Amino acid sequence: MKVTYNWLKEFVEIKIPAKELAQKLTMAGLEVVALEEQAGDFIFEIEVTSNRPDWLSVLGVAREVAALTRSKLKTPNFKPGARVAKGRLKIEIEHKKECPLYTARVISSVRVGPSPEWLRKRLELVGCRSVNNIVDITNYVLFELGEPLHAFDWDKLNPEKIIVRRARPGEKITTIDEEVRNLDSSALIIADKDRPVAIAGVMGGKNSEVGFGTRNILLEAAVFDPLIVRRCRQALGLQSESSYRFERGVDLDMVTKASLRAAQLIREYCSGEEASFNSSGLTKLKVKSVKLDTDRAARVLGVGIARLKIKQILSQLGFKTKQGPKKVLAVGIPSFRQDVNLEEDLIEELARIFGYARIPASLPAVKPCVTRKEKRDLACAVKKILVGLGLSEVITYSLTDKATLSSLGLGFGAQPIEIMNPLSQEQEVLRPTLIPGLGRAVALNFNQKQEYVAIFEIANVFLGENKPKEELTLGIALGGTRTILLEQGVVKDEAGLLNLKGIVETIFARLGIRDYAFNHQGSYVEIRIQNEQAGLMLNLKPQALNKLNIKNKNVFALELSLDKVLSFLRRDKKFIPLPRYPGITRDISFILKDDLSVQQILVLLKEKGRPLLSEISITDYYQGKQIPAGYRGLTLSCLYSSDARTLTENEVQPTHELLCAALIREFAAKLR
Amino acid sequence: MDIKAVSAQIDADIQGLNSPEALEQFRLKYLGRKGLLAELTSTIPGLPKEERAGFGQGVNTLKNKLLNLIEEKQKIFSGSCAGAAQATCDIGMPGMAQELGHLHPITRITDEICAIFSRMGFSIVEGPEIESEYNNFTGLNIPLEHPSREAFDTFYLKDYPKLLLRSHTSPVQVRQMQEQKPPLAIVVPGRVYRPDAVDASHSFMFHQVEGFMVDREIKFSDLKGILEMFAKAVFGSEIKMRFRPHFFPFTEPSAEVDISCIICKGKGCSVCGRKGWLEILGSGMIHPNVFKQLGIDAKKYTGFAFGMGIERIAMLKYGINDIRLFFENDLRFLRQF
Repeated sequence: MKVTYNWLKEFVEIKIPAKELAQKLTMAGLEVVALEEQAGDFIFEIEVTSNRPDWLSVLGVAREVAALTRSKLKTPNFKPGARVAKGRLKIEIEHKKECPLYTARVISSVRVGPSPEWLRKRLELVGCRSVNNIVDITNYVLFELGEPLHAFDWDKLNPEKIIVRRARPGEKITTIDEEVRNLDSSALIIADKDRPVAIAGVMGGKNSEVGFGTRNILLEAAVFDPLIVRRCRQALGLQSESSYRFERGVDLDMVTKASLRAAQLIREYCSGEEASFNSSGLTKLKVKSVKLDTDRAARVLGVGIARLKIKQILSQLGFKTKQGPKKVLAVGIPSFRQDVNLEEDLIEELARIFGYARIPASLPAVKPCVTRKEKRDLACAVKKILVGLGLSEVITYSLTDKATLSSLGLGFGAQPIEIMNPLSQEQEVLRPTLIPGLGRAVALNFNQKQEYVAIFEIANVFLGENKPKEELTLGIALGGTRTILLEQGVVKDEAGLLNLKGIVETIFARLGIRDYAFNHQGSYVEIRIQNEQAGLMLNLKPQALNKLNIKNKNVFALELSLDKVLSFLRRDKKFIPLPRYPGITRDISFILKDDLSVQQILVLLKEKGRPLLSEISITDYYQGKQIPAGYRGLTLSCLYSSDARTLTENEVQPTHELLCAALIREFAAKLR
Repeated sequence: MDIKAVSAQIDADIQGLNSPEALEQFRLKYLGRKGLLAELTSTIPGLPKEERAGFGQGVNTLKNKLLNLIEEKQKIFSGSCAGAAQATCDIGMPGMAQELGHLHPITRITDEICAIFSRMGFSIVEGPEIESEYNNFTGLNIPLEHPSREAFDTFYLKDYPKLLLRSHTSPVQVRQMQEQKPPLAIVVPGRVYRPDAVDASHSFMFHQVEGFMVDREIKFSDLKGILEMFAKAVFGSEIKMRFRPHFFPFTEPSAEVDISCIICKGKGCSVCGRKGWLEILGSGMIHPNVFKQLGIDAKKYTGFAFGMGIERIAMLKYGINDIRLFFENDLRFLRQF
């Protein structure tokens, strides 16, 4: 909203420069977002919060200025001209709630023409285009007093009655912006006996517009229901200075005054004569009273304000104060302050004018309550591990599109939770998996010429069952080839599923999760903890890579439910005594058919090696010239130990031979 | 050959002995299988009986002397040269270590903010991203049909009436106050959603940190004190702060908080729009209607609440000029944090 320095001065004496005033207003809650000097005046552009419709006028801002600078508000005098009779015009209001007050003033013999220079200029300064003297005066009063007015060409109306009613289905009106508007029963309109002539509070109709040929006018001043006006202008995609004020709430007490003010200006500048005045509805609102305990105000703010000062602030803002029992003030709320209903609202008024800057800073005694935030702690721990492993964290959108989901081929596209009002197709559903977001981040980085991408995200995925469920999930994506410079030269390491497996194993080892397994399930590898599915990993399929625009590169992705991981976390960690006797390590090198899984071998040998075998692991594997095609060379390292004594080679030998024999017999391995 | 002569020879030989190889030669000369000491020992049987014991002791003393000398020399040599083959190294070559990954800047800022409030005694609580209309609006004194709702424009779920994606982290206030009686001192980090078209300063998904405190006698001045501590911890103790009256449906009195521009130090620049101030958060005393909704006695308890956009804080702190960078996840961006 814009007001000017000179216009304000008509309502309040201002002794400080515009810049200082702007500062004061900002610090009182009327944030001046721009201050511009123009044509010997200053324009203040003020951001008015939605609770303060009273600030949408020069008078309202002037009232603040008066309170902030402790000067007097010059309340305008609204003199009626010569007494006017009630006309024969009937005003019919369909629902009083939708239009609590409607006034119609007929002014005859007006001379419509261009506005005087001062009026045109002033309107221009606040961003309003000049039309003609009548329309300009209605706008002038709107800006000055905050009450929107509308002038109809009286001769174009059926003079029998004015009706405020809902539009009937199929009704149409051409508004003054030349647009044909199709109306329905949600729109509140002004009509004469024959047809709609205006959309209430939003815009007038072309059919009754005031033009240079207009002789007699009907000046409307009214109050319309904020909600209806808002819905109506939203439906029509129309916003006007009038609707802006109506939907925030206009002051009922100002309606008649504004009508008088406009009539006075019209008499003065358009030489009209008031012919009649009719009104229907409430003329006065009941005055609300709110109690203010000045001691409580001091307790809430942390600073005491003298009672005299409190009364002064309130009265300058237009409140009426009456000393009640003890330290309680009974505060009468003026009609333009419908936002004030509670003691706290008054406390804010005091604080605003007293100055937030003058309230001291103190520190409360915080009584800490230590809540367990296991989920967040787990996520933080996992993030740290992953960063240590060289992966970088990404944050991707929780909303995605169905096509990308189904391109994964994991059944994710089946029934994701849909968004009712997405801005675009890319936001149509809540993601049930992190993989598409990670995939897009990988694709972007490949496009930026990254050779190797290793990223992760920890975020919720959304599953729609009977009711929507959020599951905290870890997602990882690896792709490309990593170049590692070692003493012996450059090593190229292509990302693969085993990298993902290693990452999961590292996380599980850190978290103390032991009983887990990786199982092939067709197109993906499933991760199970204590035999319950907790996640999966896979090589993204060609159609998914295609959808992501990734060419000639593989992407490996993993998803692991941290909610599941959390449920398997154990807090009963115990120390395991160090081995008292050294063990003996024996290696077995052998050749194995490619299609046999190492996992099975380890499981079997662990079983057979009891009780001396305490650890067994793969320490080397190779494929190459010495190994026949379809086979691979492996080295197993076996650690034998005992809690009771130091083992000798002779004691270990039988077990070790048993393991070698089992390898040959069960897996057709050839020892090397 | 007598013991004294050998001893003198040892003393002479050990002088100027300056390589491990020479030391080995020296050891072999005296202690080797055919060394001088072995030779001396072999003469013992030929000695008269009464001289044998004394001579033997003399040889032993000599042996100990040799062992000591050799050990001393070895220590000297190993000190000047690391045992095995010593590698030469060009220290200008790249260092070798496992490359670390990077936490997202939003995570870094969130953790930093949470840590500051944690140290002040606040607990960290999180809440769901799918919320009820009640928790997101009604419980927070945001009437269904009020223009203030527009500022919190919201994504709704298609098949679940009255459920939405939270448009701020404040619903956790509602949840927490329903669950736990005061005193409360809580911070809430999390993702929030608003259907805004994406541009350099708007995103339909972003992050907030919400904080609130409820107890007997919590004052507006306490809000000022806590936020001042917070802002100075994040932006440096030299920044200035100001509290401006504002309107939020869930607080009364309400305040917007500005810090002096960290780029121009308050002189006015393009980042602060020539104002010299940067808005960083919204705050206020919890509205009595919120307490009433949640069954907390507003006569007995007061409280404050505040909320801020994490992207905004990160953008100001790191000088990032486009919010989209946070969600593009370009590694060249992420590796800077």
